[in-house]
Amino acid sequence: MLFGGVNRSRSKIDLRLVAGVTGALLVFMGLALLLPLPMALADGEAVWWVYPAAAVITMGIGGSLFGLFRPQADLRAREAFLVVTITWLLITGFSALPFILSGSLTFYADAFFETMSGLTTTGATVYGGTTSNGVENGLLVDQPRSILLWRSLLHWFGGMGFVVLSVAVLPFLSVGGGSQLFSAESSAGTTDKITPRVQEAAAWLWGVYLTFTLVNFILLWVHPSMDWFDALNHAMSTAATGGFSTKDMSFIHYGSEYLEWVTIVFMFLAGVSFTMHFRLLRGEFRVFAENRETRFYTLMTFISVGIIALFLWWDGGFTPHDAIRYGAFETISVITTTGFVSNNYEIWPVVAVLMLFLMFFTGGCAGSTSGGIKSFRVMILLKNTMREIRQTVHPRGVLPVQVGNRTIEPATIMRILSFVIAYVFFFSLGALILTATGLDFMSAIGASIACLANIGPALGDFGPIDNYASMPWVGKWTMSFLMMIGRLEVFTVLVLFSKTYWRE
Amino acid sequence: MIIIGAGEVGYDLGTMLSQEKHDVVILDRNKEALRLCGDNDVLTMEGNATSAQDLKNAGVADADLVVAATNLDEVNMVAALLSKRLGAAKVIARIRNDEFSRPNALVRASDMGIDVMIHPEMSVAREIVLLVKRAAASDVVSLADGKMQLVGIRLDKQSTLTGMRLKEVGAMGSNLTFRVVAIYRGGFTLIPFGNDRLQANDHVFFLARTEDIAAVMKLTGHEDRRMRHVMITGGTTVGAMIARMLSEDDTDWKVKLIEPDYDTSYELASELRDVLVLNGNPTDPNLLVTEGITETDVFIAVTDDEESNIISCLMAKHLRVPKVVAMVSKSDYIPLSQTIGLDAAVNKKLAAANEIHRHVRKGSVLSVAALHGIKAELLEFEADADSPIVRSPLAKLVFPKGCVVGGIIRDGRAEVATGTTRVEAGDRVITFCLPEAIDKIVTYF
Repeated sequence: MLFGGVNRSRSKIDLRLVAGVTGALLVFMGLALLLPLPMALADGEAVWWVYPAAAVITMGIGGSLFGLFRPQADLRAREAFLVVTITWLLITGFSALPFILSGSLTFYADAFFETMSGLTTTGATVYGGTTSNGVENGLLVDQPRSILLWRSLLHWFGGMGFVVLSVAVLPFLSVGGGSQLFSAESSAGTTDKITPRVQEAAAWLWGVYLTFTLVNFILLWVHPSMDWFDALNHAMSTAATGGFSTKDMSFIHYGSEYLEWVTIVFMFLAGVSFTMHFRLLRGEFRVFAENRETRFYTLMTFISVGIIALFLWWDGGFTPHDAIRYGAFETISVITTTGFVSNNYEIWPVVAVLMLFLMFFTGGCAGSTSGGIKSFRVMILLKNTMREIRQTVHPRGVLPVQVGNRTIEPATIMRILSFVIAYVFFFSLGALILTATGLDFMSAIGASIACLANIGPALGDFGPIDNYASMPWVGKWTMSFLMMIGRLEVFTVLVLFSKTYWRE
Repeated sequence: MIIIGAGEVGYDLGTMLSQEKHDVVILDRNKEALRLCGDNDVLTMEGNATSAQDLKNAGVADADLVVAATNLDEVNMVAALLSKRLGAAKVIARIRNDEFSRPNALVRASDMGIDVMIHPEMSVAREIVLLVKRAAASDVVSLADGKMQLVGIRLDKQSTLTGMRLKEVGAMGSNLTFRVVAIYRGGFTLIPFGNDRLQANDHVFFLARTEDIAAVMKLTGHEDRRMRHVMITGGTTVGAMIARMLSEDDTDWKVKLIEPDYDTSYELASELRDVLVLNGNPTDPNLLVTEGITETDVFIAVTDDEESNIISCLMAKHLRVPKVVAMVSKSDYIPLSQTIGLDAAVNKKLAAANEIHRHVRKGSVLSVAALHGIKAELLEFEADADSPIVRSPLAKLVFPKGCVVGGIIRDGRAEVATGTTRVEAGDRVITFCLPEAIDKIVTYF
């Protein structure tokens, strides 16, 4: 079992074991690389060969790693950190091959950025702009359909891979207070583990995910302005809270209110924990309605949509109808860290833009495909702040932070606080590096948080109707790294930089 | 009679029952504890409460009453089950876990051979909650399923009742019916008659229907003023129960609970969401003042350390808290309570003994309650068709000295007894008696 047994006899990190497990995972990714092939063949694309080629390379390297270092022992928690990070990097590296081999993108940095953006469900794209050294990246609409499908598939696998990771693996690694929350957030009498075995739970989650994508696909497809291909890509992108579109102007291209509302609903739902969807499918409506994080997430969404819509109407010259339509779409797109665009929010009243920017720091629920700080952390920190105020009034008061009927242990709150501090640190670091490359203030802080929180569209040069093509190379590599750090909940990556991790 | 467990409760019960001339056997594993019990006129036996053989040797098979009163619920359950199987007539067990007394309990007390479950901490907590709700009262006993209450109160000089004969009180013509059933004056308990005069500083016990209590309190010069702010010291079983009961109550109580142990207070704070739990020393005046003891209406000290309870109550009284209640275990301290200014003192042992006591009395006695610090006992009888008491109205009956009928319960309705009341067969009669008169009153039923 991959993350099952704990072997206490070894103390140092077993790199051979890590290599072996990583190799096995690469073989699986190689298989995924073959998925766009039928599309390429059906369209008679000249570049159809890139998929088998990339698959052969990936599986060849993965297979040799696996063959050379056939895992003999079970993976331990400590090694899992390394496997998760290395695998994520290697898979991104190999999955970028189709972009390069097909000539769709010229530079590997762009291809890596695009792939990382896909796998981390960020949705920031380098297509449709001029790179810093003057090379024109083609428009999305001019790309072979197999490439567009590959982008969406990256989202789709990345999103679900992350849910499985966060439901099955990260709690086990106890990253950023996640595990405590998974157990803490269960309502009375039930545990949040949906089935006793990890593999079975993962299978169920895939089932839910597939159903979710399929329903969304059908609802999009029935609209005349979307063909099956666009509908499929947008459905996959929505389920993963990704943001890649097949059109350069995202939903502005369609301008269809029906498509926007369908997407609003599905983006919102994708921001809810998939264990909750599982419950919902089993008819446990009460568990769904009583889950505190879901309630907080819903409330937060409604309030911010309300505020933004109000200012769009009052100050932005929108009709009340359009204010709600565009306000809801953009706000939910940002909170769920999807990153679809139906209206250029950069020309909104400043107060609405700032409100939206604040929402960059929230995120959906734990166990969903969304990124960001996540609702439960925001909720617990808010509660902890209220607690601190009360504590000032009653210095000797014993005031535990409670979510529903559960008490959140101080250790969990500390972990969440550390998480947020680390998060803000990386946001600042990213913004600093971007300004050092010559970007302006707005573009730098916008891009930094948009990538760290896996949102996609940012502000300034990287606004909703722009793209990331013009970002300097240093920036693209930094942002790729931030996307991964954000997706892997910071500490999973950060722990690899500690001395004690490598020593005993 | 067999008592299993020579702990706190077992010891007191043994003492009490042996003084009442019952044959008592105490079974325990601990020699030292048994030696202490042996100072009374009881037979002590060393043995295991969960061993059928040891229980048999103790004579459980033909015991009238077996009381399982060890500190462990589980031991008491097994001992009760074994005793019942061995043929004990009646089995009482001390069970702290209240899961078994809930209406939807999976396993009921009867399934375990237990006839009666007692929970002294719960009884004390209930009593204190009643005291909190009746602001001015020093004692509150709920009777007839809560339809009537016996309330103890100190009579003020300015009360309209002060100086009146009881006859005159009755003739005041108001439609309030209440009956003064006992007066505690200068260290003596008296059961009053029509000619007795009420004096200032008397501690008066009266019986009335629950809905009339507030009006009666007004007559005595005490407004039954609304209490809201409650401070409890000690996150003990009793303290936690009081806090829980108050937070589940309809009234919006502001409860603060002080507990010195951090882990205990953390657990309590997690469980009792509406209660402000404070971690600190209950006798620390700074803590009490910062946490607003001056605005507190009721101060309840229920730590396990009774001296500390008394001290912190005195401190609260000094800081002008209108009502202070202390849990005191040593019966010797109870009479002191009024002298040193405690408004009420409650006793865990007495609560346990009360619960058990009512099952010890034989015949037509239905229930019994003793009151803190005064000698009189409250007895409830059921009248038969051939009971002497049904022959004529109460005023015409020659009652023994030291006895009074307080009220009757007929067809589930509670009534305060007056001279014209005539007891009928099937009535439940609440009487108030001095100990020496109990034997006499029994003959009336």
